[in-house]
Amino acid sequence: MRLGIPKGLLYYKYHDFGEVFFSELGAEIVTSENTCRKTLDMGALNCVDEACLPIKVFHGHIGLLQEKCDYVLVPRFMSIYKHEYICPKFCGLPEMIKSSYKNLKIIDTGPIYADSSESLYKWCREAARPFTKDENKIQYAYAQGMKAYKQNKTVVHKSDSKLRVALIGHPYNIYDNYLNMNIVLKLQKLGFGVITEDDIGEEITNRFSNELFKRPFWTFARRNYGTAVYLATNKQVDGIIYISSFACGIDSVVIELIKNRLNDFPVMVLKLDEQTGEAGFNTRLEAFGDMMKRS
Amino acid sequence: MKITIPHFGNTHIAAKVLFEGLGIDYVIPPLSSYRALEAGDIISPDEICLPFKIMLGNVLQGIEAGADTVILPGSCGPCRFGEYGELQIQILEKRGYDIDFIVLEKPSEIGVQELLNRISHISSASKKNKGMKIKALLDAYYILKEIDNIESKCRYLSGYEKNNGDFKRILYHFQLETMELKRPVDILNCIKKYNRSIADIAIDSNKNPIKISIIGEIYTVTEAFSNYYLENKLMDYGVSVKRSLSPSWWVKNMLLTPIKLNSIKINRAAKEYIPLGIGGHAVECIGEALITSKIGFDGAIQVFPLGCMPEIVSKAVLKQISEDKELPVLNLVVDGLSSEAGIITRLEAFIDMLERRKKCIL
Repeated sequence: MRLGIPKGLLYYKYHDFGEVFFSELGAEIVTSENTCRKTLDMGALNCVDEACLPIKVFHGHIGLLQEKCDYVLVPRFMSIYKHEYICPKFCGLPEMIKSSYKNLKIIDTGPIYADSSESLYKWCREAARPFTKDENKIQYAYAQGMKAYKQNKTVVHKSDSKLRVALIGHPYNIYDNYLNMNIVLKLQKLGFGVITEDDIGEEITNRFSNELFKRPFWTFARRNYGTAVYLATNKQVDGIIYISSFACGIDSVVIELIKNRLNDFPVMVLKLDEQTGEAGFNTRLEAFGDMMKRS
Repeated sequence: MKITIPHFGNTHIAAKVLFEGLGIDYVIPPLSSYRALEAGDIISPDEICLPFKIMLGNVLQGIEAGADTVILPGSCGPCRFGEYGELQIQILEKRGYDIDFIVLEKPSEIGVQELLNRISHISSASKKNKGMKIKALLDAYYILKEIDNIESKCRYLSGYEKNNGDFKRILYHFQLETMELKRPVDILNCIKKYNRSIADIAIDSNKNPIKISIIGEIYTVTEAFSNYYLENKLMDYGVSVKRSLSPSWWVKNMLLTPIKLNSIKINRAAKEYIPLGIGGHAVECIGEALITSKIGFDGAIQVFPLGCMPEIVSKAVLKQISEDKELPVLNLVVDGLSSEAGIITRLEAFIDMLERRKKCIL
């Protein structure tokens, strides 16, 4: 049986686990192509107009995948830390996909609570149902998946350069190089080392996000806020680039919180949408880079 | 201590009753208007949703009128509403205001003790004894319920009235009168009076008006200013309007959520299309749409602010429901722009379409 895994949303963070887990169960994994113009068009065509760019891109991946496989994986991430969420749209993702693609076969759309290994395993057992009922096999696949995930988890960016910039934002905006127009490469070419939220430990980000009147209940908001404030107040970076998708509800709050906290520290917000005018993007990056070099 | 609250439908009347009963100094900001929106808009983050901007405007106008303490309800996500408190505190602080915020959150998130502390901050300002405090609270809830009741009655019956505009007029006078009154007793008497006069209005039960259900995000459906007085417009067109989400529903829902007895009917109806709560009131929106089609309403209007995360999901699901159940749905996205003409055109077209569907089978 061929299982399609779309390269959208949290794919970049958890694909190691998913791919190993399902291939151990005996599924043939088909991933969609990297995001490209075709994905974007397909997504914009099949998604609710008001949705944000990453959601549209995810729709596009599904659209291009559906011919190539028997089942697709549409994970419903509820939370990856206790008492925290990612975004309401993640909770309703399978519903959105179902309303756009009528005849699509989706494997289990139960909620994923990855805040403890028991609840994650519970989801895995449900998701494994179309492939096998053998408990041992599922357990083995789960362990292998976890191993693969842990091995590839650390994404330490090269930051030996003297000038450094923090690239903050949701992982699907940071890792999808088509969406963010290769921003990491561009920054490196300009002579900047890039640090992202993944390079900063949980303990540090919590220390700073706990300063707030109310700890943010979105995982990536908490992480991004903590990372940005830590890096800026400890002079670890020369500037912050926040890469956000247009109409992102979470970013509308976090960006404001970060700006309020950091006062005069250089922060640039880059908005992503379906328009792909790269020139304007480059100009802004260069100008921001020059400004950081001078200060 | 002088308390103010942002507007949310008819809650300001209940709040007035509560504060009068508690003997606490308070100020109710002027009703939401473009002035409030503008005042809030200037100092809000650009991409935040419309309710935030209007509520911040209300708070600012309350502060102008002398308030020094703001009461805000909270929630714990995943919708943005839960962050309103944090953001408003920061924004006002940055602008040099010295304001106390009392954010009322669920006890499961901040702990029972913390919630009691916050409440005692309010009630310690009151010199009344415990019994009178509880009475004030019950009075406020009763009045909130009754006011919502009168409003929904008028909105629904306006499709059946013999003389055009009767119900709209009576609702208008009722709202004006309750604004002026202060003492709980007077407001209760006023409610009784208007209940009687509603019963006196001539009704033509042979009429078969178009019936529309208003669904969507709770703030934008209840706060008339934010949805361009949608329900008043529908009353003018002789449409019967039903809306389940209201401040009194919200209070009841919040109280019943911990024991899972909240809106059983809606949740059960929605289960087929959306099995889990996803924050905001998306489940209620879907459930309402399904109930609407079941009880033979002609259509539904979904209202939500631009960028509202849960309602974007429900919009996607509504598209499917609309096809499956043959229920026409109009999606109104509100963002505080002042071009009312576009809204009117879309409404008229929608109603024309519903009328045609009613008359012609083919």
